[in-house]
Amino acid sequence: MAAAAAHEGGGARLWKTLSFVVALPAVGVCMLNCYLKAQHKHERPEFIRYAHLRIRTKPFPWGDGNKTLFHNPHTNALPTGYEDEN
Amino acid sequence: MAHQAHSYHMVDPSPWPIFGAAAALLTTSGLIMWFHYNTSTLLMAGLLSMLLVMLQWWRDVIRESTFQGHHTPTVQKGLRYGMILFITSEVFFFLGFFWAFFHSSLAPTPELGGQWPPTGINPLNPLDVPLLNTAILLASGVTVTWAHHSITEGNRKQAIHALTLTIALGLYFTALQAMEYHETSFSIADSIYGSTFFVATGFHGLHVIIGSSFLTVCLLRLIKFHFTSNHHFGFEAAAWYWHFVDIVWLFLYMSMYWWGSC
Repeated sequence: MAAAAAHEGGGARLWKTLSFVVALPAVGVCMLNCYLKAQHKHERPEFIRYAHLRIRTKPFPWGDGNKTLFHNPHTNALPTGYEDEN
Repeated sequence: MAHQAHSYHMVDPSPWPIFGAAAALLTTSGLIMWFHYNTSTLLMAGLLSMLLVMLQWWRDVIRESTFQGHHTPTVQKGLRYGMILFITSEVFFFLGFFWAFFHSSLAPTPELGGQWPPTGINPLNPLDVPLLNTAILLASGVTVTWAHHSITEGNRKQAIHALTLTIALGLYFTALQAMEYHETSFSIADSIYGSTFFVATGFHGLHVIIGSSFLTVCLLRLIKFHFTSNHHFGFEAAAWYWHFVDIVWLFLYMSMYWWGSC
């Protein structure tokens, strides 16, 4: 164990430094960027009944079969339109 | 025979392989019952038995290696080949989904409006959360390397900190992706765009969860002194798998998130 430690001296210190000086600050900068972008809200697009969108070839095997797994009533329209508009 | 005259591991008879096959049968037929006959009992039985087989089989591998000493350098070499071959097969798995994406996006059909992204699709801004997710996975690649060097140098405290940080970054990625999935204006049912996007990123997310679980098992084993400074292949396999997950994300980010949104 001592022999192995003597051979690899410094490797862990380099990667620890890279973690705290480069990698994690980069994550922090990107977090700040996301936070600033989230400050201005955007309008949701109007509903146009395109045939290639909101495809329902067969019902989903959950709920009423009409909503996708991560359905969001505010951002995802059903084939008939946004739920909160009708 | 009391002693073996070779360096291989002749494994004791075990029920896990055939139980694993049975679990796969229950899971696949369970999926069919759920999709077509609206009943999920078989699927639940399949997933439960799959989980039990994995826990007990890998528990047995740890017993055979860490506690019974069967993993000679020869055995370890075989495991290295095995992990590399497995990851290679996973590369081909993802290649298929990338093929589907490029097939549809390089020559968008009239039904999509002859453009990519298709008419009516509002893609995610690649410089928003997807960029943060890229930074997170890259950072976790750095921290897992820090953990590996700490193990090799016999520094227990730093190894535990580095591996914990790696897992935390993995969980952060998963949480952000789940939030993104809930916030997108498009769904899996929105043309071939939605299909390729969610199947490819969805399988990637599943692999992040698998990788995070593998790393967590390694953290528990690290805390319980299973690893030595020059014999810790379970950790190396987890680290290789984690790097693979990171690289798949980089390709997803460049092709679907960035190129595919212009």
